[in-house]
Amino acid sequence: MASSSSFITEVFHIGPLFITNTVIVTWGIMLALTAAAWTVTRGIRLRPGRWQVVVEGIVAAIEDAVRTVLPDHYRQVMPFIATLWIFIAAANLVSLIPGLRSPTGDLSLTAGLAILVFLAVHWYGLRSHGLKSYLRHYLQPNPILLPFHLISEITRTVALAVRLFGNIFSLQMAALLVLLVAGFLAPVPVLMLHIIEAVVQAYIFGMLALIYVAGAIQSQQLKHSQEKE
Amino acid sequence: MEFDGTTFALEIINFLVLVWLLQHFLYKPVTTVIAQRQAGIEKTLADAQATQNEADVLKCQYDNRTAEWEQEKAQTRQQLQQEMDAERARLMTVLQASLDEERNKLRAIEQRRNLEQRQRLEEEARAEGGRFAASLLSRLACSELEERIRGVLLEDMPHLPDQQLQALRTAGQRDGVNISSAYSLDEAQRAGLNQALDHLLGRPVACTFKHAPELMAGLRLSMGSWMLRASLLDELHFFAEAQHADAKR
Repeated sequence: MASSSSFITEVFHIGPLFITNTVIVTWGIMLALTAAAWTVTRGIRLRPGRWQVVVEGIVAAIEDAVRTVLPDHYRQVMPFIATLWIFIAAANLVSLIPGLRSPTGDLSLTAGLAILVFLAVHWYGLRSHGLKSYLRHYLQPNPILLPFHLISEITRTVALAVRLFGNIFSLQMAALLVLLVAGFLAPVPVLMLHIIEAVVQAYIFGMLALIYVAGAIQSQQLKHSQEKE
Repeated sequence: MEFDGTTFALEIINFLVLVWLLQHFLYKPVTTVIAQRQAGIEKTLADAQATQNEADVLKCQYDNRTAEWEQEKAQTRQQLQQEMDAERARLMTVLQASLDEERNKLRAIEQRRNLEQRQRLEEEARAEGGRFAASLLSRLACSELEERIRGVLLEDMPHLPDQQLQALRTAGQRDGVNISSAYSLDEAQRAGLNQALDHLLGRPVACTFKHAPELMAGLRLSMGSWMLRASLLDELHFFAEAQHADAKR
């Protein structure tokens, strides 16, 4: 964990676009995940092998979690939520490799993911209820609550971005400081904490995104149910 | 804590591309194979359930058939028991009849054996009586008794049936008369006897006299195929034959 890799640096630029090490590591993670998925699933069989069992277990666990929250729409939402979980977990854990830093320690990436969650919430809400019906839930239960709904939309998106960025960035900084102060083996407990924190933060981010999406999809369902009853 | 617009935009694009890549290379194949496996499991379960149902039906049929067999077996056993009882009763009747017949046969054999025993005892008693009478009469026999018997013979001969007298006359005239006596007759006795026979047979006949002590006392007159017995021995024989005839009756 070199100090030069702990900060955002510009690697190269294509015209006005400056490619940072965050984007490079993200591409590497994407390449690794895609290659692993392709390697495992190219020979997929009904009688699974060792790695296929692991992959099927991960996918089935994610699908069950999504289905528990959204029994009727889990097939639409599952790829987005599952990719959030897998990507954030991989991005959080990549800093365990010497010379690499977690791209989730970059506010630009976490903000991008938070914006995607924000857009996804409205996208799934609009697909489920239509524009009028979806927008009407901002006026429920009383139109006077509209500003609070809008503030909530913004703040929870900002909270998503900042929570992930802050936790991962602080972990990296703490590990760096411990390494600088205490020597070679002292950061090992911090790195173990990093593993737990990385998985927990990925789970929290994905679960919050799932809950937001579920809230958007199910925002009118309770009212419809009450009207039917 | 820097915010870079290029990184922000690229990360959004990167994530969307990653969603598509994982959807194409991971989620879809894995969920498809899980669904296929689930379908296979459900098919296997359905087949197993169908097999179970079929087995239940077969078991039900087997149970019903077993119950029917048990019922048929019970009926057959009951029918066999009845037939056995009837056959036993019939055999017992036949056996009882056979036993009765055998018992009757044994009773008849016993009766016959008793009868034969009694006849044999009677025969022995008669023989013993005969021997006793013969012994007694042989001691009582004497010339006077013979004379008395001869007198009785001469007294009774004229009273014989005419047909018999006629036959005696024919035989006596043709063959003569052989006279056997237990005691020797003197001339006077022979002459008197000859004269009485001449008178009885209606003409003179030739008489031949013979001494026969086995007669004990009395005479025996033989004329051809006719024989007049007037002796103790012949009387004893007559007595024994009469007793024997009575015993047979």
